[in-house]
Amino acid sequence: MNLSFAGCGFLGIYHVGVAVCFKKYAPHLLLGKISGASFGALSACCLLCDVPIGEITSDVLRVVREARAGSLGPFSPSFNVQNVLLEGMEKHLPHDVHKIVSGKLHVSLTRVYDGKNVIVSEFATRQDLMQALLASCFVPVFSGMLPPRFHGIRYMDGGFSDNLPVLDENTITVSPFCGESDICPRDLSSQLFHVNVANTSIEISKQNINRFARILFPPKPEVLSNMCKQGFDDALRFLHRNNLISCTRCLAVQTTFQLQDVLDDTSFDYDPECEECKTHRQDALVDNLPDTVMTIFQNAIDSANHGLVNWVMRQRGMQYLSILTIPYRVPIDIMYATFTNYIGDRVETHALQYSVVRNVHVRRKICRRHNNHMTRFVSCTPKMSKSLWRLSLSLLQQLHGFVYYAHDRSDVAAQIYYKLTADRKRELCDKAGQMERRRASEVRISYGDTVLSDADTFEHILSVTSHNDALLAYYYLDSDNKMKLTEIYDVTDAESAAVQSPAERDANRHLEFDNDWAADLVHDNEQLDIEAMDEEDELADRNIFSDPESEWVRRCSISSASESDGEQPESDQRLATNLNNYTVTHMD
Amino acid sequence: MGLDNWTGGWWSWTRQSDVMLRNVEKKILSCLKTAYKRFYVDIGSVVGESDKIWTISLNEESPKTPLVMLHGMGAGVALWCPNLDAFAATRPVYAIDLLGFGRSSRPKFSSDAAKVEAQWVDSVEEWRRELNLPQFVLLGHSLGGYIATAYAIKYPDRVRHLILADPWGFPEKPANVYEKHQVPLWVKAVATAVQPLNPLWALRAAGPAGRWLVSKTRPDLSRKFTPYVPDAETVIPEYIHQCNSQTPSGESAFHALMHGFGWAKNPMVKRVNEISPSLPVTVLYGSRSWVDNCTGQVLAETRPKGAKTYVQVINGAGHHVYLDKADLFNKYVIEACARADDDEQPSIRDANETDPPANTTS
Repeated sequence: MNLSFAGCGFLGIYHVGVAVCFKKYAPHLLLGKISGASFGALSACCLLCDVPIGEITSDVLRVVREARAGSLGPFSPSFNVQNVLLEGMEKHLPHDVHKIVSGKLHVSLTRVYDGKNVIVSEFATRQDLMQALLASCFVPVFSGMLPPRFHGIRYMDGGFSDNLPVLDENTITVSPFCGESDICPRDLSSQLFHVNVANTSIEISKQNINRFARILFPPKPEVLSNMCKQGFDDALRFLHRNNLISCTRCLAVQTTFQLQDVLDDTSFDYDPECEECKTHRQDALVDNLPDTVMTIFQNAIDSANHGLVNWVMRQRGMQYLSILTIPYRVPIDIMYATFTNYIGDRVETHALQYSVVRNVHVRRKICRRHNNHMTRFVSCTPKMSKSLWRLSLSLLQQLHGFVYYAHDRSDVAAQIYYKLTADRKRELCDKAGQMERRRASEVRISYGDTVLSDADTFEHILSVTSHNDALLAYYYLDSDNKMKLTEIYDVTDAESAAVQSPAERDANRHLEFDNDWAADLVHDNEQLDIEAMDEEDELADRNIFSDPESEWVRRCSISSASESDGEQPESDQRLATNLNNYTVTHMD
Repeated sequence: MGLDNWTGGWWSWTRQSDVMLRNVEKKILSCLKTAYKRFYVDIGSVVGESDKIWTISLNEESPKTPLVMLHGMGAGVALWCPNLDAFAATRPVYAIDLLGFGRSSRPKFSSDAAKVEAQWVDSVEEWRRELNLPQFVLLGHSLGGYIATAYAIKYPDRVRHLILADPWGFPEKPANVYEKHQVPLWVKAVATAVQPLNPLWALRAAGPAGRWLVSKTRPDLSRKFTPYVPDAETVIPEYIHQCNSQTPSGESAFHALMHGFGWAKNPMVKRVNEISPSLPVTVLYGSRSWVDNCTGQVLAETRPKGAKTYVQVINGAGHHVYLDKADLFNKYVIEACARADDDEQPSIRDANETDPPANTTS
């Protein structure tokens, strides 16, 4: 089962609502491929790498706020949508995002020179992915003059050729325009004529005309909030109509058996007797957008409506005045933008030089990274203030580093320094951020304690969970009506003592070579072992010897909630028998 | 027009010509494997002076109950090409261009909704009388579904089984359509400006660019026809363009049926009870269709107990349900026809029934 998100500019908030619903009620649908164009590709990417919805929402709202602030709205010279998107991606996408999404995420692009559609699904690096996403969001004139390059060829918004890439027959299409898509708003107006623009079917109705205007001109937060709600409701209705909502137990069984033919004509084979499913479905019927998302919207609406400045701006006279002064404000805006562009670029170059110098001391890799111009592919945008801030920060850190070196040159200190300065933010963001995104805030607090202490079990689990993909993850309600999340990890190749005791690891290693034909090849095994040690550097994090047929089973359960293995669904346990499993259960 | 004849139609703004339409239709129909016949049926003066209905027939020799197909708004007989072969394998099949569409005559219809409906129904009835069909299975898509229902209400004895594929005109216009979403003034202005125009005005206004416009606004149609029709990318837009660039009499009639923007003036939902309870009805919907698919349920609920109503939603299909999932659609229609064969209704025995019982099993 695949998902496809239509590109739709600022209407993308609709996709956020759909995503919330899918995460909550049909996480099994997110296991397949997800395709999209423009903002659809962005939301597909966020869904695949599990960026928390709340953050996406606030980020979208931030972009909208910036877009509405300028003199010409989103067309103001000081608003650069590419830059804003890039910032958002830098902040939210995990560092191994290209590994997570390669093969799953399908980004629709339009090749500029012949207007043909290209679908990209393999990304070598994180930069590569971000470049593809930016290209997919590039609307000429609106985003800039020159389309960005991806692998040397210029591309622009996929919406110009294929706005709703359909990968195969079993694709659920999501579109914020009322039309012939699986999940779309159903307007109560005309039910008669529709056009097909770049593979997206759009009904000709008043609402759709209105929505069309909203693609590039973002509406007020109130309207956005309604759109998000609409997305949630539409997705829920779709799931309900296709009997895709079921309890965790049934879900796990379904996941193992038939993920393929849900949309076939044969009606979906679910167990109608399952009481849990029934109640789950009943709950879903009356459900609404989760509070986390709603509060963000509420805050945005409040901040736009409260305060003296907003009150003054809301007055009719003020509105007329602002329209009348546009001819005067635009040149000023253009001048300002040009100035900040020029100065900002200068300052940024300086900041870059400083950070290069700084990083020579610390780590060569980062130095290389900074020298790489790929990181600066959209540098022609105003970010003077940010660059200034970064410059001063880097100077401060530099100073701090020197002082620290003078005090103590021991390894430990260097490590702490390393943690505190240059990579502090990145490391913390990487681990804690991911952790926090995936899990409850409770976990984050306990993580805060463990960061500074010595390596302990929890940190190792943390590293395992943040660096590996879960084989299976699902949410369910336990008997106390608390949302629980179970993730199952493959830790056969984990090196840490916390996850596997030395004896176990030893056994594991032996078992890994324990093939049927291996009995008479003992010395071969030893050779292999040596080879493995030689290659350890390269293959450190790859499970090269995992033997799917080995019957070796070990389960280790660490619960932050008091919960035993027995409480987990049977199907889960059955699934577990074929894998080396590692289960982390959290309470939400 | 005389001028058009000797200038090769160069002076005609829309580049419409009956010869072209005939040829392009022939090109599309060349994909059929069953032998077919195309002919005009003269139905005399129903709406205009002498109206003719363009008909295509397949497998007329079969003794079983024939199937009559009515197309939707702006379409024509050729668009049934993914289905004709399958249907003709079991029974006689007739598909017609509705009066005012395709190659049929284009008389001026009344401007009153009830009269327009009656005119259309009468044209179908006259056509039936000309062909001397005692009874048939009636299949209607979109607007054709509306006319088929109206026909079944007026002539219940003639229809053995009513099949509605995504029918138009069932639900009533809700009173508070625009309360939920506030639309800005300029949108309302555009909508009001467009309202008095015929639905496909843009196609005719585009003139020589009409075909291009069709291929740009509905590229999905030609794409969906690609497996069936060779050269679909050019042929299908050409056909749709040629069908709709003539005098828009059918369109105006449809416009008269409309209330607001796409709602029916006399919605069928109110008249469901008038459908004879002994008439089995099959409703086929595409799950993605924008036509409200709850009307199938409404139909099933409002019809009296004992009346046979089958509702089938075809997953993954849009409004053009016969095209999106042609195989499934064919399967369901053939099943419905087989049911019609099985139904031995005493009430229709008097209507010179010719079906021998041996043929009723398929």
